[in-house]
Amino acid sequence: MKDILRRHQILREEIVNILNKQVQIEAQSAANYLAMAAWCDVRGYDNSAEFYFKQSDEERKHQLKLFHYLADMECDAISPAIEEPQHEFTTLRSVFERALEMEIAVTDAIHNVVRECRKHGDIATEEFMRWYVQEQIEEEYVARRCLELFDVLGEDKIALGMFEERVLGIEYEGD
Amino acid sequence: MTEIEIEPEVSNIFSTNNTALYQCDRSESFILKFFEEHISFKIGELQAIRKKIRNIDLAQLFKSGTPDIEILNVPQCDRIFVLSILEILELKELFSGAFVMLELNSVIHREILRK
Ligand SMILES: [Fe+2]
Repeated sequence: MKDILRRHQILREEIVNILNKQVQIEAQSAANYLAMAAWCDVRGYDNSAEFYFKQSDEERKHQLKLFHYLADMECDAISPAIEEPQHEFTTLRSVFERALEMEIAVTDAIHNVVRECRKHGDIATEEFMRWYVQEQIEEEYVARRCLELFDVLGEDKIALGMFEERVLGIEYEGD
Repeated sequence: MTEIEIEPEVSNIFSTNNTALYQCDRSESFILKFFEEHISFKIGELQAIRKKIRNIDLAQLFKSGTPDIEILNVPQCDRIFVLSILEILELKELFSGAFVMLELNSVIHREILRK
């Protein structure tokens, strides 16, 4: 009798479930960043808005990469339900504070996926998740650098202008 | 029913009184026998239906005030099933038994046949 489970590289159900959960988290992040982009945009923080539009696109890509992986493994990828994002913020800084909190939560979730892979000996999926682990190091770094900029510049009108000038240049320079 | 059993590439994985699951090596698909019916599934679809059946909450069905049937949509055969509690119990038994056998088959392939 053929080993159909193995021939079709079927992932364990626990792995499928946690990957679908991660799909949802990435989709939620994309929606949350879009709301942040809108908040910045209407208040004239054009560069911050662009920063978050880009960030939202990135999250969508993260979502699709997971989604395709599930589909390639012949598993059910679930297009997720999204909760209403936070649309109200008090200050520009509070938007960036929220972004860092979000990224930390995403990192924790990614690490949980890796732990689940280890628990079930799914070496291939663990390897696939390495890219996300690395990506989160960069995302967190950028989010922290943004907040440090507020610490240095302050939050008066001129400072916010200077922040706007610099926000699109913040990058992770690893290795 | 007998027609299925005599084909050499079809193996019986698990059976209960009125249900059974067969694997067809040629088409790499599964055949679910449910009373007089036969429905064919690919492995991914089989996992999906297994999950649906496992998620049926029997305790909820036993509560008074709710109907003690469950409606199961099976996209592979273009119809829905209305299941009684006994039928649900049988399907739950079939799927848990069948997946133990499938995983056991995987272990046999990994530890013995492929070595
Ligand atoms: Fe992400």
